[in-house]
Amino acid sequence: MNIRGKQIAIVGGTLGLVLAGIVGCGTAQSTPSQTNNTDAASQKNTGSAGNTSPIQVVAAENEYGNVVSQIGGKYVDVTSIMSDPNTDPHTYEASPQTAKAIAGAQLLIQNGLGYDDFMGKLESASPNANRKVIDVQTLLGLPDSTPNPHLWYKPTTMPQVAKAIVKDLSAIDPAQASYFQDNEQKFEQSLQPWYKELAAVKKEFPNAPVATTEPVCDYMLEASGMKNMTPWAFQAAVMNGTDPAPQDVTLQKNLFTQHKIKVFLYNQQVTDTLTTTLLNLAKQNDIPVVGVYETMPSGHTYQSWMLDEVQDLQNALKNHVSTETLS
Amino acid sequence: MTKLLHVLFAPGLFTDASVANAVLIGTVVAIISGVVGVFVVIRGQSYLGHALGDFGATGASVSFLFGLAPLWGFLGSGVIAGAGVDVLGQGHRRRGRDVTTGVIHAFVMGLSALFLYFDTTHTSTTGAPMTILFGSIFLIDPKLVPTTVILGVLTLVLLLVLYRPLLLSSLDADLAKARGIPVRWVSFLFMCCMVMAVSQSSLVIGALLSTTLLIGPAATAIRLTKRTGLAMILSAATGTVATWLGIVLAYDSFNWPPTGRGWPVSFFVTSLVLLFYLISRFKRQQPVVARRPKEESSMKEVVKHGYRMEHNS
Repeated sequence: MNIRGKQIAIVGGTLGLVLAGIVGCGTAQSTPSQTNNTDAASQKNTGSAGNTSPIQVVAAENEYGNVVSQIGGKYVDVTSIMSDPNTDPHTYEASPQTAKAIAGAQLLIQNGLGYDDFMGKLESASPNANRKVIDVQTLLGLPDSTPNPHLWYKPTTMPQVAKAIVKDLSAIDPAQASYFQDNEQKFEQSLQPWYKELAAVKKEFPNAPVATTEPVCDYMLEASGMKNMTPWAFQAAVMNGTDPAPQDVTLQKNLFTQHKIKVFLYNQQVTDTLTTTLLNLAKQNDIPVVGVYETMPSGHTYQSWMLDEVQDLQNALKNHVSTETLS
Repeated sequence: MTKLLHVLFAPGLFTDASVANAVLIGTVVAIISGVVGVFVVIRGQSYLGHALGDFGATGASVSFLFGLAPLWGFLGSGVIAGAGVDVLGQGHRRRGRDVTTGVIHAFVMGLSALFLYFDTTHTSTTGAPMTILFGSIFLIDPKLVPTTVILGVLTLVLLLVLYRPLLLSSLDADLAKARGIPVRWVSFLFMCCMVMAVSQSSLVIGALLSTTLLIGPAATAIRLTKRTGLAMILSAATGTVATWLGIVLAYDSFNWPPTGRGWPVSFFVTSLVLLFYLISRFKRQQPVVARRPKEESSMKEVVKHGYRMEHNS
């Protein structure tokens, strides 16, 4: 009996500790996976006609969500699913709330290329013939074999997406077509500073050698004329959460220790022991670091975020200054 | 000639720092696992060994959550869950231990699922599941090498101290009790040795495969010799060779299709361990049984000369 009592005490104690740990984590991890776009939310129900409810839009990534709310203005209510700058979107798992939001949406916008596969699954789970879906991969006519899914870093992507948004929103609410049209014009105008900046960097530092952890901003590097020295296999491995080959790791580390690169672009949202090691190597070897993001950091619009990234790159090339975090 | 050498040893193998690290840690792990493994096989605790590795995976997934080195998570949760198995399984014969291991194993794996979900949804540590379950020998932090070596030496020392009482209580718990050996403590301390071996092995080839180096080499050695001491040495050697060859092959595989990717070390190590075991089976032998000494004098002999297995003819 005595022994039994002791057993129960010990086991109970162990389980208690474990459960306490879980509860502790649970409270620490209270970041919401969904944030309603505040711009749209604050402008909700301020439409001239008080009886129209805003168009329900769900964007898989908040950079697309931001563009939708810029174009739809007060006539849309946008929910962005992936918007947490501290997590890796590649490993996102959909929750029941996500499913509910998608089921009630009139317009969906997603990236494609395997970046947000959960969208397709949830769409087929709640079929709706009237729902509009913008799949950016399909929109740009890209094959499934396209290696780099981070399409929003490509300067040519968003204008096409914006036009598709106007088309779909106008189909849902024809009365506001010209309003959407105007906003789209404004949006394209506001991309100009980013384009100018890209061209300026390209002109001033042609073929400057840089390194990355993974391909998040490779399209931007292409557009600004940088030369990414990191082997593609290495980038793909980090992006997919597998181990790069030791040969590639050595090659990558040598870029830092032998000062072969001018800037290190560090994805803040896909990190592991290896990327942290590289970050330390950059600091030891006095190589400026530019933090890049998968999803739009808070306090930004799509265009201000893109402009910031290029300006940070320029700052690193020109003045040897690191900008590790945005927002 | 150089061409052939390049096929056998891909360029850069001997100058690559991460390979040198991998070989060093891999050797320590193979030796510890090999030595501890001989007792695991004698005591019939393969399943507990496997479960301990999975317990460690849960701890490692917690340590990813808080940005600690996975090694500490592996060790901590291995000891806690192992103690739980030990306590719950007391007072029963082996079957009781087996069942409690099964029950706790399932629960702890469930916890692992929860924490890995947190890792991938609330932190940016992308590679956590792959690293924990399948190991990342080439990416081990060089700063962990001294720690691993020290822990390895400690495990060996503990096992040497335990050697005689452990042998006795593994062969005949009742007799060991009668001779005043604290069998419960011996079994708990041996479990700690297993946790150490399995945790370090998890770093190298992952939690799911951590028993590869624990069971395979020991089983191979026990087929080749009847002496416990010699079996330990053979087992450690077999594991070491498998690890070294695995590392070389994984490094070489960079040039195999799909080129520029490289295959995981874990795959090579597990394949080689199986291969060695199959080779050892060619040595014809009858099923072995442990001779259960009936008298005091022969028990002394066992302790003096080591554990001998006899053919059951």
